[in-house]
Formats: sequence, C-alpha cells, structure tokens
Amino acid sequence: MTEYLEPLINGILLGGLYGVVGIGLSMVFGIMRQVNLAHGEFMILSCYFSLVALHLLGLHPLLTLVFVPPFMFFIGYLIQISLFNRVMQKGMEPFLMISFGLSIILQNALLLIFTPDARSLKTALAIKSVNVFGYLHIPLIHIVNFTVGILVLLFLHQFMKRTYLGWAITAAAENETTAKLMGINAKKVYACTMGIAAVTAAISGILVGMTFTFYPHSGTQYLIIAFGVVIIGGLGSLPGTFIGGLILGVSQLFGGRILGPGFQLLSGYMILLIVLTVRPQGILGGR
Amino acid sequence: MPAHRTRLIVIVLLLAFLVTMPLWASRYIVNVGLLVCIYVTLASMWNLLAGYSGMVSLGQQMFIGLGGYTLAVSSMYFKIPIYLSVVFGGFMSAILAVIISRPVFRMKGVYFAIGSWVIAEALGICFSNWKYVKYGMGMFIQPAYKLSMSGVYYAGVILCVCSVALVLVLLRSKLGLALMAIRDDDKASEAVGVHIFRCKFICFLVSAFITGVAAGVLYLNTIFIQPFEAFGIGWTVKLLFIVIIGGIGTIEGPLIGAVIFVLLQQYLSEYVGYNLIILGTLTIGVIFFAPKGIAGALEEKFHIKLFQIRH
Repeated sequence: MTEYLEPLINGILLGGLYGVVGIGLSMVFGIMRQVNLAHGEFMILSCYFSLVALHLLGLHPLLTLVFVPPFMFFIGYLIQISLFNRVMQKGMEPFLMISFGLSIILQNALLLIFTPDARSLKTALAIKSVNVFGYLHIPLIHIVNFTVGILVLLFLHQFMKRTYLGWAITAAAENETTAKLMGINAKKVYACTMGIAAVTAAISGILVGMTFTFYPHSGTQYLIIAFGVVIIGGLGSLPGTFIGGLILGVSQLFGGRILGPGFQLLSGYMILLIVLTVRPQGILGGR
Repeated sequence: MPAHRTRLIVIVLLLAFLVTMPLWASRYIVNVGLLVCIYVTLASMWNLLAGYSGMVSLGQQMFIGLGGYTLAVSSMYFKIPIYLSVVFGGFMSAILAVIISRPVFRMKGVYFAIGSWVIAEALGICFSNWKYVKYGMGMFIQPAYKLSMSGVYYAGVILCVCSVALVLVLLRSKLGLALMAIRDDDKASEAVGVHIFRCKFICFLVSAFITGVAAGVLYLNTIFIQPFEAFGIGWTVKLLFIVIIGGIGTIEGPLIGAVIFVLLQQYLSEYVGYNLIILGTLTIGVIFFAPKGIAGALEEKFHIKLFQIRH
C-alpha cells in the first residue's frame, strides 16, 4: 500500500505542475482554435532567461518569476502580432506550420547560444524533502510546484471572469464577428491571449527548470506533455486542464513504478493515445 | 503539343543525369545525389498525406524508424539478403500503418498530427528499452559495409523515380479525383459516394510502405541506427520544410525542396544549427508570401509545370 502511496502523492503534485504546462496551449486552442507548437520552446526559452539572470545577478530562480513572465508576455504578444495574426483566417494548417518553424528556429538558436549541455536552475529546494509520518518522502520542490500551479490556475480563472480583458477574450472566442461589432479589437485580444499563454509557459518553464534538467531540445518533450494534459482534460477547458495534469502525472509515476523508470513517459503517452482514440474531445471537453 | 514535348525532354534529361551520375561524378557528389533521391521520396510521401489527403502527419518518423530497424534486425539477426531486408522494412511499416489506421483516422486535423507524433515517440521509447535491439545504444548494420556506393545510389534513384511516378499515377487515377473532392468539401463528396476512409487508407498505406523502404536505403548509407534519432521528430521537421518551401500539394515541390535542402545542408554542414534556422525562416516566409511554394510560384508567374495531373 505505502509502496503506491508515494507515486500517487508525487503524481498529484507533478500533475499540478503539468496543469500549468498545458494551460497556455489550452487557452490558445480554446480562444483562437489554433495549436501553438512553439509552446514548449516558450518554456525552455524562459528557463534560459532565468538561467542568465541567475548567473548575472545571482538571484534565486523563484525571484526570476517576477520579471521573466512579463518579458515573455511581450515576446508572445509580438509574435502573435507579427506572425500568427496574418494567418488567423486561413484555417489551422498555416498556424500549425508557422509555429512549428518558430519552434525549430528557437531550438536551434538556443543550441547555438547555450551549447547542448544539460542545465538546471539549481536551488536548495531541489535537495530538501518533507517527511510525512516518517516513511513518505516528498521533495519540497514538488510542493512548491503544486502550490504555484494551483495559484496560477486560480488566478487565471478569476482573471477571465472579472477583468475587461478577460471578458473581451471570452467574447472574441465565442463569436469574433459580434465581438468586433461591440468594439473589441480581435487582433489585439489574440495578441494578449498569446502573451498570457507565454506567461504561463514562462512560469511553468522556470518551475520545470528548477525541478529537472533541461536542454535546448527539451521543449518538444514538454510540448507533448502539454498536449497530453490538454487532450486528456479537453482542449480549451480550464478545470479540464487541471484534471488532465493530475491524470497524466499520476499515470506517469505509476507507470514508472510498475514497469520501470524507462517507461515513465510511455505510460503517459499510452493514456493520451487511448483518450485520443476513444474520446478525442477530452474527458471534460464539451463538443 | 510542343509544351508536352519540352516537358518530356526535360524529364528524360533529368533521368539521364541521375542514371549516369556514378560514371562521371566524384563519390561525394554521388552521395549528395543519393541524399536528394531519398529526401525526394520521403518528402513526396509526406506531401501525399499533407498536400493531397489533408492529413498533416507529424509522425512519418515512425515508418522511418521501423523501416530502419527492420533492415537492421532482418539483415543481421536473420541473415536475409540486404536489399530484400530493405523491402521487408516497407512491409513492416505498412503493417504498422494498418494496425494504427483505425484509431488514427478517428482523429481529425490537429488531433491526427498530434496523435501520429505521439505514436512515433512511444515507439521510440519502446525501442530504446528493448534488449533485442540493444536499447538506446543503437545498432550497426554490418552487412551494409560491403555494399558499393553506386549500388546504394541506384537503389535510391529507382526508389525516387518509382515514388514520384506512383504519386503521379495515383493522382491521375480515380483516387486522385476523389482526394480532390474530399479536400474541397468532405461532406459533399461523401454524399455523392466518395469512400473517404478507403481513399485516405490507400494514401496512408502507400506512404507508410514507401517511407519504410526509403528509410532502409537511407540506413544502408548511414549504417548506424539509434532509436531517438530514428524515431525523432527531426525527420518530419525536414520533410515539412522541404515540402513547404518546394510547394505543398504539387508534384515538383518535393523535388525542388529536397535539392535546396540537401545543398543547404552540405553547404552549411559545419554549422549544424544555422541551416535549420535558415530553413525555418524560409518556411515561414514562404507560408506568408507564396503559400504554394516555389513550384506554385513558378507555375503562376511563368506557367512552368513539369508534371501535369489534369489538363
């Protein structure tokens, strides 16, 4: 019993982090009906920004959460304005391919600047663990990840419900033409959406960087995790994203415990493929 | 028809150029020619799915990996003649395509793209944890050492010519008409009796088979196969760049794109990162300014077209 309690709890905590990994992808899909394949690279880009700040200023990685995400907001905003807004009306393929091209460009740019070496945002948090009832070891960093993850999801939920920008985003997602008639600048709204998605990517990226090692090519791996979260939970659904994160996190750690560590990712992919086949709209997806 | 005749002459000249290459060119040039042939084949097969059947696959690497590993296993463990093993790789890929076709065809558009990618990633993990194929260390395809360069080259040329011809024949047939109808309006085409599943299935199967065979020829040349490279998304990245720059939904597109890609790769071989950055930028530019790629632009501006599908 206790043998399975540890992967369960750690899986749930990991799931909170995965929820934030997926939320940006989910927002972009829910609001623009587009899939941003560069999402993973946004995360890894933030990791490296944080790493640079770490080396230049000697800051704690958690402190870089104050300025890296706003910076990523502008990057996301600019990318949407200059690239994606031009192809919004042309269906899904151009957007898909442009974001794919962008992800390859970012990956290789990072590779050239930072070399293919493994990096991590090292802190004391990664080594410490909390002892529950004397026999359960839970890494402190997982608790930090889960807490920040929940806070981000709750904050985003309130933001969408209570602010003008949140209403505008929802309106443009519901019906672009009517939203335009009501005086909403749809292009600006989309740019803000991409900016917010980049902010969540930045937050999750920094957390991932503090928890695991990362390489310039790690974005792909987290993009697939984001897909997993979002597809299991349902594309475009906020609570679904959280549940998707939990399911993926738990199934990965259980798979790793039962089949061996090499199969940790595989068990997550299997769940994802089953959901894709049986219920492509996700567990909480409406359509 | 003089236009028809010039087209025929150009095609014959191209073929003659390819066939005689080992007689006059250096080993290096022949190797470049082989790479072009393989990439033309792989890109044509991706184009058949993405450009004509509306299936943007991000998982072509599953057929490349499986084809390569089938070649390695059957030629080394079972001592099957090496060129037969190459064809065998194609059959294994086709079998994989049959197995996954049911679930994969339930996924539409973006879901198909993601689903195919995840299957490829899952296969990569399986192979890297499989003792039989030496885990993630990879395998050396030792029988391939004995092959002559021109032998592998001609295999590549035959494959390339056959696959382009096959795409041409497929598109000129009733299937091509049906695919065009599906692309324009899938509901209406289904209503008039186009069997969507069967059309897509045929394309998927052909694409899987040829991609598997092409992967075999590729690994005859590379000799070393390793799971994360063979099942990596990098393959589809290259194919996507090739097809979009050359012209998606055109037969000439993969030809033009593959030549540009291989030349750029050779020219910038010392700077590994740069060529993908350049290709990525080029691809985004092409999507904005010439959605039909170089082949499409040539056709529009100068009415140059090498292969005619409809008159």
